[in-house]
Amino acid sequence: MFIQQLVNGLILGSTYALIALGYTMVYGIIELINFAHGEIYMFGAFAGLLLVTVLKVPFFLAFFLAMALAALLGMTVEFLAYRPLRHSTRLAALISAIGASIFLQNLALLIMGAQPYTFPSPVEAKVYQTPFFTISRLEIIILIFSFLLMIALTLFIQRTKIGKAMRAVAQDKDTASLMGININQIITVTFAIGSALGAASGVMVGIYFRTVTFSMGLMPGLKGFVAAVLGGIGNIPGAMMGGILLGITETIGAAYISSQYRDAVAFALLIMVLLLKPTGLLGRPVQEKV
Amino acid sequence: MTKRNKKMFMLVGVFMCLAMLLAIAGCDSKKPANGEEGTVVKIGTVGPLTGGAANYGINVQRGVEIAVEEANASGELGDITLELISEDTGGDWSAAANAFTKLIEIDGVDVIVGAVLSSETQAGGPIAMEAKIPTISPSSTAKDLTKGNPYLFRNCLSDEVQAAQLAEYAVKELGLKKFAIFYTNNDYGVSLKDAFEAKARELAEVVAVEVFMDGDESFKPQLTKIKESNPDSLYIAGYYTEAAKIAQQAKEMGLNVQLLGADGLCNVAYIDIGGEAVEGTYATSGFYPDDPTPAVQNFVTAYKNKYGEEPDMFAAQAYDAAWIVINAIKSKGPNPEQIREGIAATKDFPGITGKTSIDEEGDTIKDVIILKVEGGKFTRVR
Amino acid sequence: MAVFDSIHLFLQELIGAYYMQLIILVGINTIMATSLNLIIGYTGQLSIGHAAFMSLGAYCSALVTLHLGFPFLLSLLCGALFAAIFGVIIGIPTLKLKGDYLAIATLGFGEIVRIVCLNLEITGGAMGLRGIPKKTNFVWVLLAVLFTVFILNRIIKSRIGRALVAIREDETAADSMGINSTYYKILCFGVGAFFAGLGGGLLAHYIRFLHPKTFDFMKSIEQLCMVVLGGLGNIWGSFVGATILTVAPEMLRSVADLRLLIYGLVLILMMRLRPQGILGEQTRLAPFFSQKIRNLLQKRTRTNT
Repeated sequence: MFIQQLVNGLILGSTYALIALGYTMVYGIIELINFAHGEIYMFGAFAGLLLVTVLKVPFFLAFFLAMALAALLGMTVEFLAYRPLRHSTRLAALISAIGASIFLQNLALLIMGAQPYTFPSPVEAKVYQTPFFTISRLEIIILIFSFLLMIALTLFIQRTKIGKAMRAVAQDKDTASLMGININQIITVTFAIGSALGAASGVMVGIYFRTVTFSMGLMPGLKGFVAAVLGGIGNIPGAMMGGILLGITETIGAAYISSQYRDAVAFALLIMVLLLKPTGLLGRPVQEKV
Repeated sequence: MTKRNKKMFMLVGVFMCLAMLLAIAGCDSKKPANGEEGTVVKIGTVGPLTGGAANYGINVQRGVEIAVEEANASGELGDITLELISEDTGGDWSAAANAFTKLIEIDGVDVIVGAVLSSETQAGGPIAMEAKIPTISPSSTAKDLTKGNPYLFRNCLSDEVQAAQLAEYAVKELGLKKFAIFYTNNDYGVSLKDAFEAKARELAEVVAVEVFMDGDESFKPQLTKIKESNPDSLYIAGYYTEAAKIAQQAKEMGLNVQLLGADGLCNVAYIDIGGEAVEGTYATSGFYPDDPTPAVQNFVTAYKNKYGEEPDMFAAQAYDAAWIVINAIKSKGPNPEQIREGIAATKDFPGITGKTSIDEEGDTIKDVIILKVEGGKFTRVR
Repeated sequence: MAVFDSIHLFLQELIGAYYMQLIILVGINTIMATSLNLIIGYTGQLSIGHAAFMSLGAYCSALVTLHLGFPFLLSLLCGALFAAIFGVIIGIPTLKLKGDYLAIATLGFGEIVRIVCLNLEITGGAMGLRGIPKKTNFVWVLLAVLFTVFILNRIIKSRIGRALVAIREDETAADSMGINSTYYKILCFGVGAFFAGLGGGLLAHYIRFLHPKTFDFMKSIEQLCMVVLGGLGNIWGSFVGATILTVAPEMLRSVADLRLLIYGLVLILMMRLRPQGILGEQTRLAPFFSQKIRNLLQKRTRTNT
């Protein structure tokens, strides 16, 4: 049973990790908790659903189209709600993000209604039995896809010119701007990539758990955020680690402590990690300049 | 602050004040002119129209709306016209208190159909009692909810009765012996679990009891634990979205058990989401949309025409609750006290959710039917 | 306390029960927002678990009323003290955390409190706690608001307040000036939680029912919005913020479907136009509005001439 629970946790955790990446990337660059990220995840799931069911786009294409659409939405939200506040206090930007989140969620409610939509399954349901655990074909696909996306993102940030610019902006905006980097452009790209990853997660979760609703972004949004902080917010490998650790803790907590306290165990882990390492698992300690 | 900013701020401030004034004025202008046209009886509904539980609240509102339209169109009430006013709570009981007070004080409703969630009704019940406005909830199932409040009624299956009846049916008719219970951590799930567990322990064996939260997506950790205890059946005490996902994930994990559930499962979405995994589920219900009786079919057709989807238990119970109110107006009269008497006197009301009577505590006595999912459809087995 | 009741009833007769209820909720939210402002606005510690302190106070005061039959004032005090103890407990470990890490730790604490309340026997669990007698009325809320604002004002204007602001501006510098930042931060969490617990106790004895669901992190976020919208580091601002965010959703009821859509938009627009909040840090309430009116009059006379 223990190995089965680990596998369960890994799959759950990889969906958290993808959401956490979006939070962490945005935070790394402009130090803003992008509260609307959970809604972008919901938007991605709806976009994927509508492309597949209404426009009859093939699954594979719909997946990437949904990512592209969510990237557009992410950029729009940044442009309208965050950019005007870049030079005000961070709390003002946070409230603006909360406003954007409430707005998007209720816009979805208005357009799509409150009922759950069913996501058709792209692959035939098939379950593989091993001596230690069972895993479905869909779960294997989700795991592979999440890891591919995470690797692609890491390569993008480490190897490409834009990635390099993103790291430079994250480190020091003013200096980066002096080096000829267009800050606004880099921030837009960051929002686009973060939102696209959120949408990827939304579509996969939609397919995996078979439903899409207007309020689906709330809890995963919170969990993704927690995962990002757990790994050290602003740190990309940290977000992946945080997501997977959170998923595994939740399942193990539900299995061996009590399913009543499943979420409480996850939050207790968070607080404990923060007490031992105040900037998250992989976060760099903040050097205070005096 | 720059001058431009200041101006804009002022502009927004003025605009907002105007909007508020308009809103208040709008409320007042809606007050219909009493007099020659006859009496207007105002019915309020309270429930979550936004937030995670919005689906339940919206369906309730729709059920009431159809009943009110029917009553107005049929002219059964003579010169009395019904007017419907709906208020949102967002699923929050402190907001429900506001909604109740607003309906009673500002809109001057004569009767309230609501609230939807038990916690909302708990918060609103005392307010309605103080104002002496009769209130009938179509879906708040918490135990003893209506006790000690002569103005509070409800029209829904009792959790204790339906869970106990299903446990008995499962043991005696289906020959099941080892039960696992998986319940949602709210008043609905807890009362179902308590009743089912008590009856099942009395007649057979309960091998696992696990809990989940509304809105959860992944149930595998708990299901893995349930699988370890090797049950022959799984009683899901929760609502259809989560229940369908549970069925789906249980099947994926190779947990092949007889699925059982309560009226929270009885929505087409359960079959849509669950697909093959929910085949063979037995669930108690008060409402069966394929019932050939004309009353049920009329409601289902009207609902489908108006909203483009099949009504569920929430809509049906709300529709019946509204008709109980309408009948009370017809038999006793249009003022709140008369409506209260009328609701309290309800006996063998032939609703679409079965024959309904209201007992002296304001609780419902209803027949429980048992449905089974067969060939992607709910069919009635008892 | 019969006097309180008759004053309450008289006023309710005058303005109607609905507006009375709104005023009482504005009062309770003012207590919540001002006490949160002490933590966020004055001391600069971002806390998004304020609703948890509220729920602790609410449950504690309701339980002592129900089981021990305490008089109202005493049970309010019990709830507030109980919350304050937790404020200190959460204050101690969070000293190491800064900024958003502190925020997320308080959020985690809030969720843990909610989940524990949902599963305990004594809190009524998922069924909620019912049968709490109605004791809160207008006079009690008014007194509580005045008490809160008075005490918070005294704290802010005193040495403690200056120390808190110094910690907000630069903790290292404050430490080097001999301010014991550890002590002051714990104190600030304790005092903030105390008043949050007071607000919770008032709410419990007003609505007569408690369920953990309402004290989730969205409630904390709502209270944060009140503080930021009104103006950080400004007690009067918190009053303005609490009033707007309590009254606005009610006023927007007439647009039904669009209610929360507009609410979200208002948050974005307000921040865009007044990122420092409606009242900035230094602005006082009365001069602010008289200034506005004067401006308006001046403009009108100018256009008239």
